[in-house]
Amino acid sequence: MSLPATAPPRVQSDTAKQARLYEMYKTFFDKAEQERRWNPFRDVPYEKINRNAPESLVVVAETFCCVESYLPDYVAKGINIVRPYFGQAWFSANWAYEESKHSVALMEYLLQSGRRSPEAMWDLQSRLMEVEWKLPFHTSRQMTVYGCFQEMATFVIYVKQEQTAKTHGDECLATIFRLNARDEIAHCRFYEDVVKVLLEEDRVGTLRDVAHVAKHFQMPGVGIVPDYDERIKVMREEGKVDRAVFLQKVFFPVLKYLEVTRQELQEAVWSEREERHTTPRSEVHPC
Amino acid sequence: MIVGLRRTEKMAGRVELLGIFQKTAAEIVEREFPNISEKTAISELGIDSLGMLEIVGSMERELKIQLPDEALAGIQTVEDLLNLVEKKSGSVGGSGA
Repeated sequence: MSLPATAPPRVQSDTAKQARLYEMYKTFFDKAEQERRWNPFRDVPYEKINRNAPESLVVVAETFCCVESYLPDYVAKGINIVRPYFGQAWFSANWAYEESKHSVALMEYLLQSGRRSPEAMWDLQSRLMEVEWKLPFHTSRQMTVYGCFQEMATFVIYVKQEQTAKTHGDECLATIFRLNARDEIAHCRFYEDVVKVLLEEDRVGTLRDVAHVAKHFQMPGVGIVPDYDERIKVMREEGKVDRAVFLQKVFFPVLKYLEVTRQELQEAVWSEREERHTTPRSEVHPC
Repeated sequence: MIVGLRRTEKMAGRVELLGIFQKTAAEIVEREFPNISEKTAISELGIDSLGMLEIVGSMERELKIQLPDEALAGIQTVEDLLNLVEKKSGSVGGSGA
């Protein structure tokens, strides 16, 4: 079968959207190459590990490592959902590379500190892989919105834990948390910029998705990381991430960046609810 | 803002607000909350921060008020929320002062 040299253009708006997403990816990638590249073996001062740091700090590092260890699932499932959009799919590939360094650095910390043996580490990795992470949402738009909240939340937690690591005199772990946090906020900004494009494309639909994702939001480790509840308890005690912090540092900042108000989001939820109640059942199509 | 209201009027206002909170929370969380008091922590009701925002939104709509975002992060108990609502609506003259 022979294909024409120039295929007929697809819907114009889709082409324009593709071009914008690619431009955003170029900007993101170029900046990352210029300002954010780091090496988990060379740029982390493992010699500055505080070997007497409390176990709670080690548990924090191990918990981050556990969550980051589901990278194979995040990549496999996350990249396919944005596959039709070049800019987003290529971002996902780059995102995976950056996230892979996070788990490697944390694993090196746990091993080089002597707080976890190689046997314990590999046993934990095996146990982690017994459970599979599942996509929390099933459209590319909802997953992009999820990316905003999840990356921002992770950024905030890393920043808080960086302070804790400093307080406990662990310069190595503080460095890892700082480098990881810097990547997370860059990822968050990319997702937010994509959501801005989606808002321009379909404001009401995107607002409904933002509200839906916010309502059902959970961090990726919930229900899959062994002893998750106990671990989170330790992280909360160490890093003081609670309800107020989530609203102040995650939810409202994301809305602000997106130029969306809480009231607008609420209106979108109510209008959807009213539509659902007024639409005859025969007109509701499963999608 | 109405000032100088009698204690009984204030109390009636608070009871009414608590009732609105109970009704709104029940609608959103789809569960009844018959035994809550103002001292109840919102997290104890199994309502997370975003669920709380939904309740706030519904109460704002019903009472035709708008609470400032920056004040919402500090809400821990039902009382904290009712104080904010009362202050904003001005219907019963402030938070029990």
